[in-house]
Amino acid sequence: MSSLLVLLAPEIVLFITTCIVMIVGLWPKLEVRSLAMPIAGMGLLIAGVLAINTPANPESILPNIIPYAKAMTAGVGLLLVLLLAGTVDRSYEAAVERGELRFNPIHTNRAEFFAFFLFSLTGLMLCASATDLIWLFLALELVSLPTYVMATISTRKLRSQEAGVKYFFLGALGAAIFLYGFALLYGGTGTTNLIGIRDALAEQAASGGINPIAMAGIILSLIGISFKIAAVPMHFYTADVYQGAAAPVSAMLAFVPKTAGFIAMMGILAAVGWQYAPGGETLAADGVGTLPRSIYVTLAAIAVLTMTVGNVLALLQRSIKRLLAYSSIAHTGYMLVALIAGPSIAAEAGITSNGLGAVLFYLLVYGVTNIGTFAVVACLERPQPDGEADELDDLEDLRGLCRTRPVLGWVMVICALGLLGLPPLLGFWAKFLLFTSAISAGEIALVVILGLNSAIAAFYYLKLVTLPLLEEPEGDAPATTPFASRTFAGVLSAALVLLAIIPTGIVDAAMEAADRAGTIVPANIEAIERSITAEALRDEPTPIIDR
Amino acid sequence: MSESILHVLILLPIATAAFIVARPAGEAKTVALWGSLISLVLGVVAAFQFDWSNAGAMQPEVSLVPWLPALGLSISVGADGVSMMLVLLTLLLGPICVAASFSSIKHRVKTYYAWLTVLQAAMVGVFVARDILLFYVCFEFTLIPMFVLISIYGSSNRKAAATKFFLYTFTGSILALAGLIYVIWFNATRMPVEAFAGAGEWSFQIDTLRQAAVRMSPTEQGWVFAAMLLGFAVKVPLFPVHTWLPLAHTEAPTAGSVILAGVLLKLGTYGLYRFAIPFTPIAAVDFAPFIGLLAVIGIVFAGLICWVQDDVKKLVAYSSVSHLGFCVLGLFALNTMGQSGSVMYMINHGLSTGALFLLIGMVYERYHTRSMRELGGLAAKMPVWSFFMVFFVMASAGLPGLNGFISEFMCLMGTFQASDTLAGSSIGATPGVLGPVFAILAGTGVVIGAMYLLMMTGKMVWGPLREPKGHDHHNHSELADDLNAREIAVLTPLAVLCLVLGLFPTPVLKGIEAPVNDTVRWVQEHGGLRLYRDPAPARVTELSPAGVVTPELAAPAAGGER
Amino acid sequence: MVSTFASMADFLAPAQASFPEGVGSVTLAHYLFVSVAMFTMGLIGFLTRRNLIIMFLCTEMMFQAAGIALIAFSRFYLHHTGQSFVIFVLTVAAAEAALALALVVLLFRGRESLNADQWHSLKG
Repeated sequence: MSSLLVLLAPEIVLFITTCIVMIVGLWPKLEVRSLAMPIAGMGLLIAGVLAINTPANPESILPNIIPYAKAMTAGVGLLLVLLLAGTVDRSYEAAVERGELRFNPIHTNRAEFFAFFLFSLTGLMLCASATDLIWLFLALELVSLPTYVMATISTRKLRSQEAGVKYFFLGALGAAIFLYGFALLYGGTGTTNLIGIRDALAEQAASGGINPIAMAGIILSLIGISFKIAAVPMHFYTADVYQGAAAPVSAMLAFVPKTAGFIAMMGILAAVGWQYAPGGETLAADGVGTLPRSIYVTLAAIAVLTMTVGNVLALLQRSIKRLLAYSSIAHTGYMLVALIAGPSIAAEAGITSNGLGAVLFYLLVYGVTNIGTFAVVACLERPQPDGEADELDDLEDLRGLCRTRPVLGWVMVICALGLLGLPPLLGFWAKFLLFTSAISAGEIALVVILGLNSAIAAFYYLKLVTLPLLEEPEGDAPATTPFASRTFAGVLSAALVLLAIIPTGIVDAAMEAADRAGTIVPANIEAIERSITAEALRDEPTPIIDR
Repeated sequence: MSESILHVLILLPIATAAFIVARPAGEAKTVALWGSLISLVLGVVAAFQFDWSNAGAMQPEVSLVPWLPALGLSISVGADGVSMMLVLLTLLLGPICVAASFSSIKHRVKTYYAWLTVLQAAMVGVFVARDILLFYVCFEFTLIPMFVLISIYGSSNRKAAATKFFLYTFTGSILALAGLIYVIWFNATRMPVEAFAGAGEWSFQIDTLRQAAVRMSPTEQGWVFAAMLLGFAVKVPLFPVHTWLPLAHTEAPTAGSVILAGVLLKLGTYGLYRFAIPFTPIAAVDFAPFIGLLAVIGIVFAGLICWVQDDVKKLVAYSSVSHLGFCVLGLFALNTMGQSGSVMYMINHGLSTGALFLLIGMVYERYHTRSMRELGGLAAKMPVWSFFMVFFVMASAGLPGLNGFISEFMCLMGTFQASDTLAGSSIGATPGVLGPVFAILAGTGVVIGAMYLLMMTGKMVWGPLREPKGHDHHNHSELADDLNAREIAVLTPLAVLCLVLGLFPTPVLKGIEAPVNDTVRWVQEHGGLRLYRDPAPARVTELSPAGVVTPELAAPAAGGER
Repeated sequence: MVSTFASMADFLAPAQASFPEGVGSVTLAHYLFVSVAMFTMGLIGFLTRRNLIIMFLCTEMMFQAAGIALIAFSRFYLHHTGQSFVIFVLTVAAAEAALALALVVLLFRGRESLNADQWHSLKG
């Protein structure tokens, strides 16, 4: 029990922080109220430090993922906190400042906004700790439910409400689908414990093939979770939601649910394993295999469609946020390729052939780089007729930004090149790992499609580079928001993107941590060990939740 | 030669660029010029330190600076004779490009010179890289400076040109990356550790990977070769994927065109020479007729297009496509004659075509047109310019005594010999798959080349003076009618080198002979007897140079280190 | 136990896989059939109906379909995992319902309609 508390320490810290933020954010005094953000940041910092020192959890299907995933959540979360400054209540607080209104806690959103943000991150951390389908389901819902509210209240505009509703309804549909998948998976294996499922599936595969009900459950779960990672066929909401929500919230939506979805997918796929022969039966422990055929085909189709649809539609956009939304879909497709490739079967092969490690590293890099691009959007604004400032979103607004607002312009240029994966920026190394792991798994066709898609992506990322860097500014320079921390978040992420050029050891450490996090014990190795002692265990009850 | 001098050659331009950005705009060109001159001097020092008697070996022997240990990646530099020559070419064109831009670049000066110097760092990086990722990083990174140079400082249609340039090259090279990674993976997982040093681990060293790559099956080699070919052929550019080049050249500023023609195109041929051919010799031999065909089509087709050009810069751009066809043809002759000729061609083309672009830029600065309908008979008004023009056109067309001749001749001769059809004749034959047909077809390209170049000279230089309507000298008072001292100083070193290389090519040929010989022997050994259409052992012993082995040994698995 | 149900056939054959305690002739397959039917109806309803409240009820129906399946499986295996899962599902469904109603009210204030097709200001 106490060991479980150690594992969950970051979540507990975040939860306590959330409670404090909820109270502090409603305080009548402005000085105390504005502490909500620093307190949230402090909580994340403590959670991150605790996460790094978390031991491996042998009960988990991805035993080593916790330190990396939680530290990544806390780290990117810190950048997001900086970016979220001033998202809600800006005009209200300004009116209170001017003395036009009296402060009334009922009319403010600050407390719940930051609290929801922390709740969502707590959910993400819980996803990484999940050992059970029930736990995983609750964690995924905890990630999503707050984000629906955050998208809705992020601006006072009607478009945010529309975005929130679209997000919520498709989210509910996705949740229903993966819940049904979980139910079938439970039905097909008789347990909700992920390791139990892994052993049951390995046993079924060894004796003639995986139960079709379990198989249907896995596929439904994957399709349902594809909502969270913004993959085809559940990608429709992405562009609308990212455009409708305020830019800082969009940056968060591009990272938090996506990471949660990928970690959940990793957990479920790890229960199936990557060592099946094309016929569906397990290979010997050292054989190089792949996912069972039907899952493989489903995922490969999703991956190819996702990156192609994302990239092609991104070409047509005029809105920066929509463009980034479609590019986020494309990045999901790239990562799916490495997810299909799976971890290396050979021991100690290193990050270069560890697909799960590659996905985890890519998520970190994508999260950081993406925050840079959204930070630029979040920093630019133009006063509207109704007195409220609205953020700029047209590609044309970036014109000549490197001259008019050099810092923001260069952040955009560097981060767009990073997302494009131009060497030697951080994005290149992340994409390089996707390439190596997929080639290691023999997925040459997927790699070629991935390469071609990266080339298509160059079309629209170049727009994000040329407009600020090469064009002459037109008209008035866009105004910037008064929130310095947003600019700081952008600069920080651009600096991180550039970090890969200099051998500092930080990128190296992140890669190694991702590699460790993505290492799993292949199911059939344990299954084989178990079958040896199966006689002794015959009377033991099926593992259930209260074990 | 110490590795630190190579590191300095990469880092110094970056430092120069940082310095340019830090200093006021007025000093930018001076700083850039000094920076590039220091680089050139360092390059010459490196060339003197270089042990030319051992030019076939990478120098220094070992060089490792850890970069990303998690990937097993370190920065590893070194040069053999071929790399050294190309580095020198790059460094020579550096100050020339800077000096050539003094009067033409008026706005956003700091940005211009900063990117120009950064570009130089990336190009040097490509040539001295000994690990595949440093090569690839630099290869890709050249895109950004060139993209910026074209799209800010180019002429009217510059943005489309820059975008096309970027997308073509980026698409090609990302597929090349997939091929290279396949080789890396193959070495890491399919090679037994005891096979050779570095086998069985994630190594990025070119030497190691070359050993592993030749052990791939012919099918694998075919795919990897195709991937690399896509990447490098776009850069060369080879016939069907050449369409970005004329556009990029026409729109680029003068110095951009010079760099583009002088060095950037050579990254493609260098990639073919360093990676595609030695990594996958079996596939290189199999594909050689196909690539030879593309090269010949490029030579003739681009030559014919040149003939109908009105824009003189576009004409020279298409002539680059044609010339690089010879270069590729020489490479795929797969014999010492052809490949040395090809490497020579890389250098010579950089000198003479670079100079032609400079000359055209100088006229453009004065008349703001490049149309041959509007310009003509400039000999009357610009005698010095006309002298240089005629000189470099002759060099480019391959007049004996100037540099173009020797390399063009060697490429054609190598191609001619590269088959066993002439075995026993006085011309001699080497193992190869191209042969006289290719050489004769390409030879028509030489004639076409001479014709369009002379036609251009005839229109531009001789005849009655034609100037564009409304041309007014007083608008360009800062430039003299004819070339000024700076412009002459820019052109003179190129002219001298063209003459020297034309008359005494031996030192350069000697320098590149050893590494080229190594490559050729390597390809013959590992591409094996497939070089012969008729693999009768008797003929092998009869014709083979020392390196060729018998069929049993030529099997990829058994073909070990030399 | 797990290994006894290697294939779909076991689930669908009433004689072999009826409930261990014998609930007449109602087998696991019947429960699953109801559950799948509810799930499908919910999915079709979500995709075809345009009233936001009805769309939300459709997703609720899909949730409950999962609940039925979980309880049926739980009874089938004779342990409580599935039933405890259902408790959590119901909790989450309640939370979603609260959120949905809040959103719907907010939307109705903004646009006086609950037709999903009216929401198309975001397009690209």
